[in-house]
Amino acid sequence: MKKVLMLCLSAVLFLSACSSSDSDSSTSDAGADSNKVTIWAWDPNFNIAALNMAKEIYEKENPDVEIEIIENAQADIVQKLNTGLSSGTSKGLPSIVLIEDYRAQSFLQAYPDAFYEMSGAFNKDDFAEYKIAPTSVDGKQYGLPFDSGVTGLYVRTDYLKEAGYTLDDLQGLDWQQYIEIGKKVKEATGKDMITLDPNDLGLIRLMIQTAGSWYLEEDGVTPSLAGNEALKEAFEIYKGMMDANIVKPNSDWSQFVANFNNGDIASVPTGNWITPSVKAEASQSGKWAVAPIPKLSVEGAVNASNLGGSSWYVLNGDSAEQAADFLGKTFGSNKEFYQQLVTEIGAIGTYKPAAGGEAYGKEDEFFGGQKIISDFAGWTEEITGLNYGMHTYAIEDILIVEMQNYLNGKSIDDVLSDAQAQAEAQLK
Amino acid sequence: MNSKTKGTMAGSSLFPGKLSINSRTKSTFIGWSFVITAVIMICTFYFYPMIQALILSFQSGTGTNLTFVGFNNYTRLLSDSTFITAVKNTFIYLIVQVPIMIILALFLSVLLNDRTLKWKGIYRTAIFLPAVTSLVAYSVIFKYLFSNDGLVNTMLLKFSIVPEAVNWLTDPFWAKITIIIAITWRWTGYNMIFYLSALQNVDQAIYEAAKIDGASAVQQFFKITIPMLKPIILFTSITSTIGTLQLFDEIMNITKGGPGNATTSISQYIYNLSFKYTPDFGYAATVSYFIVILIVVFSIIQFKAAGDRNG
Repeated sequence: MKKVLMLCLSAVLFLSACSSSDSDSSTSDAGADSNKVTIWAWDPNFNIAALNMAKEIYEKENPDVEIEIIENAQADIVQKLNTGLSSGTSKGLPSIVLIEDYRAQSFLQAYPDAFYEMSGAFNKDDFAEYKIAPTSVDGKQYGLPFDSGVTGLYVRTDYLKEAGYTLDDLQGLDWQQYIEIGKKVKEATGKDMITLDPNDLGLIRLMIQTAGSWYLEEDGVTPSLAGNEALKEAFEIYKGMMDANIVKPNSDWSQFVANFNNGDIASVPTGNWITPSVKAEASQSGKWAVAPIPKLSVEGAVNASNLGGSSWYVLNGDSAEQAADFLGKTFGSNKEFYQQLVTEIGAIGTYKPAAGGEAYGKEDEFFGGQKIISDFAGWTEEITGLNYGMHTYAIEDILIVEMQNYLNGKSIDDVLSDAQAQAEAQLK
Repeated sequence: MNSKTKGTMAGSSLFPGKLSINSRTKSTFIGWSFVITAVIMICTFYFYPMIQALILSFQSGTGTNLTFVGFNNYTRLLSDSTFITAVKNTFIYLIVQVPIMIILALFLSVLLNDRTLKWKGIYRTAIFLPAVTSLVAYSVIFKYLFSNDGLVNTMLLKFSIVPEAVNWLTDPFWAKITIIIAITWRWTGYNMIFYLSALQNVDQAIYEAAKIDGASAVQQFFKITIPMLKPIILFTSITSTIGTLQLFDEIMNITKGGPGNATTSISQYIYNLSFKYTPDFGYAATVSYFIVILIVVFSIIQFKAAGDRNG
């Protein structure tokens, strides 16, 4: 009997020992070998596709380096990074990771020793200026800027024509004029001008960046909501669109895409990364065009803005140098590679020398022969650079609630000062 | 096994005192080794993290830049409107959902305990089945069922029960209802199983005696069934309360806390503080400890309300 007991006991101990050694080996595989570079990114059609192209180019010249690309959803990457970095171990983390620009400062400042300084790996002056602030801390460059979130106003030229407008009427618009056009379009065609998700204030972010304003002060930590003229106007315009009844609501990404693929709306003001989704509906070829994004009427606003966009970061570890070298030689300096990115996956980078290349000047039949890539590249250079700071999403959650209050009749000044008070309480 | 036991037995007859102590220490040793394994595991994986989290809850800062701030995090809770909304929402779920679910489970278990009922097994399985589905999977299905053009709305419209589609997920009131329906569906069967097993331990003679005395079915239910099930009712209401206070998966997957923060729960706020916003693990730990305190308080209240004898 006792023997059996002892056997059970030792089995229990043995099994638990086994399982712990198992988990050890699975977490330590990354970073152990300095010739192996592991990369985390999201979006198989865009980021992952770009990585695969870069990998091919780099491995040709450096056959001894092994590059492993792992696809994860963005939310998962954020969560895994936070968990891994806060535990203080780089085990199980990749050497290169893609981080959205809105979140970059949050990571760089929350985990100051975790990221590898990239200043030496590429020349930051080669990249669009507005990408530098979010990717650096105290003048030290940590991120290698990748895709441009430069925005455009995607419009259905056929609907506009019915309402009596041409693409020329859409140059240098402000948002108030945009609403007026929206009303006419609705009258003439019965189609809504825009589709919005009440839980996503991307449009507000896009609008205030045309005026070089943000949720936070330039220091990146102090909330700047009450008395923020740009934000106030953006809120008023948002409500104006609702009141003008030119908005078709959506509640998630697939509905958003469906709304314009079905031809239910006349325009999509958003980042250029939407191009593949717009073109997915091949039957609408020739009916679309891209106009400059409308601006706010506050002083200094420009017809160029940004929405989203992300950059590459290297984590400190055995293979950090190798990883930085990989990024520097592909995304950091390879002009040919950027031409390939444009032609093969339609990804517009923020590497300025690439804009002169052949692929950028190509006409796009889907957009009625418009040279959209070179238009986007031009607007990219006009974007006002901003420090997005640390708290974009925390503040946005507060604003989403206050926006609903505003739409239900609360006064704009109360809305913004209440939001300010909440933000100050939360971001202590 | 045989040879050794024989040996010991033979030995014990020769040197009774010495060897019995020896074998007693041996069995004590074996006993303790079993206990020690569990104790060490529980200490490393339960108590150590709990203490660390408590220490963490007195710190604040972004990511790894944590500094001690004393009770600041706890005072901050009081002025944090998102947190207060999350607590309110959680209480609404608690006050509305737990009683509905407990009563429903009790009712179903009494129905299914009927001796004359045919195909009991099928009904029991059907009602218990939701409890074995994955939280995420069922949440995603509920999200589709209750979407604006989902099955529920289509049926309600087709049968002319409602004049226009109900905004199950985008209206603050209906979104809460959707969450309550979802968790009730998921957990009623689970609680029912506890009642069923308890009912089977109730002596049928009591019911027979009551019947002879002329008690109606309703009287039997309130005067016999409920008192007999009291400890189980207490147990299920405590576990359901704890479960509701920790509500996360459903909200994360069905509404993401929206519209606005109309359905946010405390646990989802902890997630947002740690992973969605710039991480402040210290404050997140404080919010977690608030849940711990709530659970302790509620459990004490429920023990007291149910009477000490059953506790």
